[in-house]
Amino acid sequence: MTHPQVTAVTPLLHLQGITKVLKGQEEPRTILSGVDLTVHPGQSVAILGRSGSGKSTLLSLIGLFDRADEGQYLLHGNDITKLPERRAAALRSAEFGFVFQRFFLLKHLTAAQNVAMALVNGQGWSARRKRKQQVMDALEQVGIAHLAKSKPTRLSGGEQQRVAIARALVRRPRIILADEPTGALDTETGNLVVEVLLNTTRQGCGLVLVTHDHDHARKMGRVMELRDGRFN
Amino acid sequence: MFSGKFRSALVIGGQGIRARKLRTFLSMVSLFLGVLAVVAVQAGSEIAERAMLTDVELQSGKDGTVRGYIPGEKGAAGIVESTVKGRRDAVAAVSSQAIIGEPGVRPINEGGSPFKYANRGGDRYDGPVVYCDRSGRCEEEKPQEKKPDGQAIEVNMVALTGDIIPFKPFRPVSGSWLEFATAPSLAPRIVLNQEAATGLTQYRIPGEMMIEGATHHVTPQIIGVVDDGSSQPRVYMRLDELRTWMPAAAESSSEAMSRLRGGPTQLEVYLQPGSQDLQRLLQAKLTGAGLTQEQVHFEPVNSKERMESELRIMRLIFLGMAFLVLLIGVAGILNVGLATVGERVEEFALRRAVGMSRMLLAGIVLAETLLTGLLTAALAIGAGAGGLQVALMMFGGRFPSLQGTAFPWEAGVAGVVAGLVAGVLGGLIPAVRAARIPIATVMRA
Repeated sequence: MTHPQVTAVTPLLHLQGITKVLKGQEEPRTILSGVDLTVHPGQSVAILGRSGSGKSTLLSLIGLFDRADEGQYLLHGNDITKLPERRAAALRSAEFGFVFQRFFLLKHLTAAQNVAMALVNGQGWSARRKRKQQVMDALEQVGIAHLAKSKPTRLSGGEQQRVAIARALVRRPRIILADEPTGALDTETGNLVVEVLLNTTRQGCGLVLVTHDHDHARKMGRVMELRDGRFN
Repeated sequence: MFSGKFRSALVIGGQGIRARKLRTFLSMVSLFLGVLAVVAVQAGSEIAERAMLTDVELQSGKDGTVRGYIPGEKGAAGIVESTVKGRRDAVAAVSSQAIIGEPGVRPINEGGSPFKYANRGGDRYDGPVVYCDRSGRCEEEKPQEKKPDGQAIEVNMVALTGDIIPFKPFRPVSGSWLEFATAPSLAPRIVLNQEAATGLTQYRIPGEMMIEGATHHVTPQIIGVVDDGSSQPRVYMRLDELRTWMPAAAESSSEAMSRLRGGPTQLEVYLQPGSQDLQRLLQAKLTGAGLTQEQVHFEPVNSKERMESELRIMRLIFLGMAFLVLLIGVAGILNVGLATVGERVEEFALRRAVGMSRMLLAGIVLAETLLTGLLTAALAIGAGAGGLQVALMMFGGRFPSLQGTAFPWEAGVAGVVAGLVAGVLGGLIPAVRAARIPIATVMRA
């Protein structure tokens, strides 16, 4: 997918009055209530909040895993609030890179194959040689190109998370969405991972980091705190 | 775009199969029996049909051949002989009775019956025999002189104007078949069918032949034995060699009685499909000679269609049973598929998170079961073809009609279709489940 031409003032993403209500239970529960958020290219945003405050739900809405009940979602100035699933999948592939607390690496694939998974998703097809080059570039970017042929079981937690970051970067996304990426790592490794993520913003990529860790949050350009479904 | 999705589905499906070899193998085990059942039923029915058709072709002629039945009266034999002689697209067969063996004796199988029914020494009806035609006109057959028992057999003798093999594919048993390109021999060359050969061997018959209506006894040269599918003893010879001993005029010597008995001379004509001009010519000549249109009867051989309708019900019953076995295999794939989807929830959610559509995700699960189905089909077809070869090696000698039987391609197609259908049926529900996995819920858990 080609990226639409954007002007300097157009934000990467802009959420306005986003509301999400959890249904299907005895009483509907409002998870997010009128949330506004804007992220510009090269900007990093940390979202803090207690468990159940709606951080991950917000990230799901930004990443088009789910749909808001109310509000407006603009991506590059285009309204994608009510995007059909097929186009949402294409946008996820073209615009977003995801990093999760649990690395979600497939054990039967090597590090390189795990990264290549993001390229073999039905959104276009590139030649094997080109794919291999893209994968190696992404692994190089996170400093573990030498581990390309290793299976996840032979990698440390930090290395696994870096493979997951390489997977998020391999399609050269515009926005990285990271949901507590350091939650399963020790402090030192966590710092390394945050550095790797921050590096991406220097290349113009937007970063939304959901975290409990105030130290990591402080490294971001902007820190926002969610409380009871609203930003303070 | 389609190419990218299709390739992605195949690549990821292949990875899934490689990653779960044991599960794939277990799916294949149950499916294998189902596909093999379909392959076996299809192959069995095709082979049975071909074997039956081969046997029928020996007697009735190949499918599509136009067969004509003409009474051997009013010089019909001579007319037909002169019309089709030397033609490759038609052959005439003139049948009459002959006795091989000691002259002036009662044959072992009087009337030309199969030897297992030979009633020599048994009770025999010696009373008057009366023949009646359709108009009610009856004549009594003159009582024949009772002959002493002797070493002779009675056979049905078929004299041919040309090579009948292109019309009736007789199976060679030993020796050679009649050669029509050479000059006729004074000592007629004859080819026996298996029953006649059995009679000659069993009863040690002298090589002298008495042909009904012939002027002299002849000493034939027996050059070969064929399987013609007939249970009656029969010999084949060239008509031009027969004419040396039995001119055409001699055939109508006892025409009045012959007509009532259906004639000692039976005349059959075999025409290749598309020989309508020759058929019309024969009809014109024969009706001109005095035969009626009804007497000159031509009809195409259509055994395959008739047999197919006879076999259809049996085939459907067996295919139904095979389908039930296949369903058990489908249940196996479905079971393993559902369990696998349950195990791979995170993988599927992740794939959707990185941009895979629901449709493609379902396609991957289906691709895995389809590949499993195809792989199983290939194995089942291989096993079926191998099993057939082994069966033919072990039992082929007992069934001549199975000689040269190859694994029917229809069974291969049926196996592939069964594998694909099983793959689709077994993979559909797991595919739908995989496509419905909620990304947000799984990735947050």
